[in-house]
Amino acid sequence: MTTVNTTWHHIRRSPIQSFTALILMIFSFILISSFLVVSSGLANVLGYFETKPEITLFIKDGLDSSAIEKTKQDLSNYVGIKEVKYISKEKALEIYKQQNKDNPMLTEMVTANILPASFEVTVSDAAVLEKIYQNYATKTDVVDEIIYQKDVINSLLDWTRIIRKSGLIITITVILISFFSVASIIGMKTTNRKDEIKISRLLGASNFYVKKPFLAEGLFYGFFGSFIGSLLIFSIVILTRQSINTFFDPVEFISNNIGLYGITLLSEILFGCLIGLLASWIGVKRYIKF
Amino acid sequence: MTPIRLVGLWMSVVSKFLNKMKIIFDNVDKNFGPITALKGVNFTIDQGEFVFISGQSGAGKSTILKLILNQIKPSSGQVTIDDIDLTLGKKEAIDNIRRQIGVIFQDYQLITDKSIEENIALSLDIISFPKDKIASKIDEVIKQVNLNSRRFLFPSQLSGGELQRASLARALAIEPKIILADEPTGNLDAENSWNLVKLLKDINQKNNTTIIMTTHNQEIIESLAKRLIEVKDGSIIFDSSDKPKKSSKKTINSKKHDHS
Repeated sequence: MTTVNTTWHHIRRSPIQSFTALILMIFSFILISSFLVVSSGLANVLGYFETKPEITLFIKDGLDSSAIEKTKQDLSNYVGIKEVKYISKEKALEIYKQQNKDNPMLTEMVTANILPASFEVTVSDAAVLEKIYQNYATKTDVVDEIIYQKDVINSLLDWTRIIRKSGLIITITVILISFFSVASIIGMKTTNRKDEIKISRLLGASNFYVKKPFLAEGLFYGFFGSFIGSLLIFSIVILTRQSINTFFDPVEFISNNIGLYGITLLSEILFGCLIGLLASWIGVKRYIKF
Repeated sequence: MTPIRLVGLWMSVVSKFLNKMKIIFDNVDKNFGPITALKGVNFTIDQGEFVFISGQSGAGKSTILKLILNQIKPSSGQVTIDDIDLTLGKKEAIDNIRRQIGVIFQDYQLITDKSIEENIALSLDIISFPKDKIASKIDEVIKQVNLNSRRFLFPSQLSGGELQRASLARALAIEPKIILADEPTGNLDAENSWNLVKLLKDINQKNNTTIIMTTHNQEIIESLAKRLIEVKDGSIIFDSSDKPKKSSKKTINSKKHDHS
């Protein structure tokens, strides 16, 4: 009678309890996987915005090159600046033409003179944007207009923060619920089988021998719960990633790196096994002392 | 090494082997609350002895077996098996002793949701019996106790006598050094009782297995002419080890013949 046989026997003898434990584990790992996918997508969205100019300062016409250089230097001195890029009138025309290449009527009428030169500033710390905006809003002799997608970025940051926090709280709560549920289910099973444990002990079985099937049962719930839950979410994500990424275009919300899903699946299975093993250990510990 | 030292070493090895699984009760008391189950019990049982423990119901016979199995602890005194004091011994040492004791429990102690075959397999697995030999060992003991047609049934599907034989099969399977039999003939008819006693006697003679059997059955006790410990109100009132009890009435085979 191997441990596997005994474990399977225990699972079959109380199918409702076993099914509940497995479903709870699956549900937990559906949430964990969903949280990981959404978090990574949001990180990609933020990353995309971080690579784009986050504040654009249109400068006054007629500013000489030393004043332009001085402004560039001043902008570069802020802490948290990634890049300060000067867009001349000619460069602005090029960009304009590129953006409207399918509409010759719009490009024919525009010359470099009517387009303003500008500074495109990208930052590594979003907090510096507000400082630049506040300082340059009053410098009307240098700056003509400031475009700062303050609300968009702020709300994106807020949403990311809220989703990450609430996702983390929900995931931890669900993990704790399934952990203690598995622990109490294993505890109940141990109580139900106390006669079998007593007889085995009288026949000379060690404490570990009688515990083994219960620990293996926890491992079973952890392994299959994490495997089924994660595989379900990753399969859905992989199958629908084209349409999701089209929706978020040009941001790659869902990663196309299939190997990454494999590594994440393996990590979640390991985590599941650990939860199952710990939960069953706690459950058994109350009834069979080490 | 001188020849004298070699002889000494050899003697100590032989002595160790001979003393193996010696059971010693040293002034053992056992109380259950205000009730005294055993008081001042002293005896020694050597490896290979066949001992009957007799006495009325509630005299303390089963308590002695439970103490040997370390199912309960003495209130005072010492129970020693194989030089290990069961009251102080480590769990591993006690588990190891238990793995060498086959028990026929009065209430069978079979696992209810396992078949008879699985119950026997469990005891073999516990003693780490070679996996490839488990099936043949089960066949052997099932045949010995004549339960071949019942091997796949569950305890709830067997009669009292069949359960007793299943319990015996489980005890025999592990080839124990000691067999504790608590009223093993209690639920058996006369023929099966004599068959069981004959089987235990054979095992005792062939394998040098210690047999400790509690019983009320005077006919069995007298016919086997083995050591008898009589218990009354928790005390030993007679131990034939000092004065061997001889049976001159009938042999076991003639008893069997009488009952069949």
